[in-house]
Amino acid sequence: MDLFLHYLGLPYLLDGIRFTIAVTLLGLAGGLVLGLVLAAMQLSRIGPLAAIARGYTVIFRGTPLILQLVFAYDALPHIGIKLSAIGAAGLALAANEAPFIAEIFRSGVLGVDRGQTLAGQALGMTPSVLMRRIIAPQALRSMIPALGNETVSALKNSSLASVISVGELTLRSTQLASSTFDFFSIFFASGLLYLCLTGAIAAIQLMIERALDLDRTSTRGGFWGRRRSAPVPTPAGPTDLPPVFVPAPVTPSDRARRYDALSRNSTAVQINGVHKHYGEQPVLNGFDLNIRSGEVVALLGPSGSGKSTLLRCINHLEQWEQGEIRVGGRRLGFRDDGRRMNPRELAKERASLGVAMVFQQFNLFGHLTARENIALPLVWVHGATLADANRRADALLERVGLAHRADALPRHLSGGQQQRVAIARALAPNPRVLLLDEPTSALDPELVGEVLEVIRRLALDDGLTMIISTHQLRFADEVADRVVFLSGGTVVEDGSAHQVLTQPHHPLTARFLNVMGAGSTLETVH
Amino acid sequence: MQRNLVGRLSRAGFGALCAVLFAFAGQAHAAAPAECSALQAKYPQFKGKTLTNAINPHTPGYEALDPNDPSKYIGFDIDLGELIAQCLGFTMAYKPVTFAALLTTLQSGQADIVISDIYATEERAKAADFITYSKVFDGVLVAKGNPKKITGINTSMCGTTAAENTGYVEVPLIQALAPQCKAAGKPEATVQLYDNNANCIQAILAGRADTYINDVNTVDQAVKAYPDKLEKATAVTLPYFVGIGVPKDKPDFRDAVMAALVAIQKSGAQSGLLKKWSLGVENLATPQLVVAK
Repeated sequence: MDLFLHYLGLPYLLDGIRFTIAVTLLGLAGGLVLGLVLAAMQLSRIGPLAAIARGYTVIFRGTPLILQLVFAYDALPHIGIKLSAIGAAGLALAANEAPFIAEIFRSGVLGVDRGQTLAGQALGMTPSVLMRRIIAPQALRSMIPALGNETVSALKNSSLASVISVGELTLRSTQLASSTFDFFSIFFASGLLYLCLTGAIAAIQLMIERALDLDRTSTRGGFWGRRRSAPVPTPAGPTDLPPVFVPAPVTPSDRARRYDALSRNSTAVQINGVHKHYGEQPVLNGFDLNIRSGEVVALLGPSGSGKSTLLRCINHLEQWEQGEIRVGGRRLGFRDDGRRMNPRELAKERASLGVAMVFQQFNLFGHLTARENIALPLVWVHGATLADANRRADALLERVGLAHRADALPRHLSGGQQQRVAIARALAPNPRVLLLDEPTSALDPELVGEVLEVIRRLALDDGLTMIISTHQLRFADEVADRVVFLSGGTVVEDGSAHQVLTQPHHPLTARFLNVMGAGSTLETVH
Repeated sequence: MQRNLVGRLSRAGFGALCAVLFAFAGQAHAAAPAECSALQAKYPQFKGKTLTNAINPHTPGYEALDPNDPSKYIGFDIDLGELIAQCLGFTMAYKPVTFAALLTTLQSGQADIVISDIYATEERAKAADFITYSKVFDGVLVAKGNPKKITGINTSMCGTTAAENTGYVEVPLIQALAPQCKAAGKPEATVQLYDNNANCIQAILAGRADTYINDVNTVDQAVKAYPDKLEKATAVTLPYFVGIGVPKDKPDFRDAVMAALVAIQKSGAQSGLLKKWSLGVENLATPQLVVAK
């Protein structure tokens, strides 16, 4: 016991900790940088880069660290690179850690809901803004436990640097054991020192996890220096509904007048002969459609009829093979010379043309509050000041009846509330066209009403051009000017909403409406 | 106690007193022999330099940490290296590596010289040039009472397990017993490879190995550390010399070290060191070159 304590406090051994930490830090820092590069190469759409990264991973993950250490120390000098022992150990450890850390990065990035990426793209975020503002902050949170693990593993692996004469804890322990023959006291002492170091890493990991915890109630502000409100249970009562709503009186003559007026408006979206396949399966089959400014068009049709795909093609979230789509007269996603834009140019074009999108699954950014979901894209994409953006966000939240939930995270909101925030987010940059992809399909039946209410008011009060894919026939009847019925990737029937819904011409439309129970939900007005 | 005495004496020694002090306890930092100034004039390129000595510091008596001050290495090889450095006017730095890595470290240029109780064999001379300085006497370390009755590197080892360091010359000698064992109808000897002296000794203490054959003084040190558990069965003579390893592409350095060693031997300093470390003056060997044929 005395000997154990003697070695535990021996300055020679304690000094070895410095080298252990130095090698670990070099290895981790290098591993993080190299791992980031490897992960980026693997995630990139560029084949050769991904192949190189995979080749690197196979080699450095597949060979023992001890060989890599000896290689860095003894083989590199033969080609003129003579690193110090610590340098060689840091290099080998970094090279060895990199593929493991790259996989942590990759799984963190892939773990962020794909829908959020789509939503960011639809908002006009460039790939780099998406990565920095949306994906990285959320990926980081999920990566901390794995990175903590990797740090402990790197620290223990640093002991292998003893084979290339780095005077770290293990080398000092073995040498001391050889010269004193106090084998066990020395190794117990150095074992305890390692435990202290790994214990410290575990403590740091827990601290970081706590600091990054979005749910943590804190008066001091979280890790990002922002104050979060405590999660409040979602109130389901009537206070939560939009405050005042007076349905606009709609009579058949009103409708007819509006329909006529709209038909004289300029074209907002023009779709000509669009063909798209998923593999062998055609999804859009020579699709044609013109939509006028201020028109509200409901897309109806069975699942797989191409409604969602059409909406995604309109703002170029999907590619198509043939045909042309123009928004506000411009071919979104194509340069003047007809070539496709790169993702960055496409993002800027989306933002400037003003095509906004609301998704079935809401796709709110999980790490941002309701207000931030609306305000921050304005700052990142449109260069608004934070103060202006927050004012705009608060006004929109007020409008969708969620002013009291401005500081709540999406996960603390009901589905209906999330969709209302998503609508407010889409409206924030004043889009000229709003695409809504089955906005109520993912909602519980009792939450559908509040979302439809918000959309209805947008249509009637704002005169926004909207294209909505929906199964809500009654809603389509009340809100839409036109109903377009799709089947097999083409337009089967197209006409004024009430007429198509109550007096369909095409047997496919009639059958669909019949299955959907149109007769019982729609009053027939002649 | 004796170590402290040596320490104090070593700081006191100068000039004519040296010879007297050698007879007492040996001398780590003796004044350089007279020839040394001539050597420094002949090989000025090493003067004032810091050169690195790759060692496997797991062999008390030759090279190991100083238990009283683990920031230093001590032992016969260390003292001899310091004398050579002093003679040629350079400073010696140390790089601790595994035994098997001694020559690779030298070859890669991460070290300039190897003085670490390494036997100068023809095989090893392919990796480095050697200047011999000491004869080789091996001891056979066994558990107390020598339960397997091992009498040397001979058929008494058939069926036993020997612990050895990776890269030791004893390894092929033990493996070469296989045909003899087979002829005698006995199983071969098994070799367990470790990466330092302490691990080999622990293998016997833990009952994993029956013997550890290495330099006789190393064996004696182990017996001294564990007198109740270990003993030296016998000593064997191996047809090798211990050598200083130097890079093959630096003949001027090899010549300088050789000349310095000759001067040191001639002055009696090496014999003094052998006495100081209780290694026996009969170990002394006239410097010879061992280079690849």
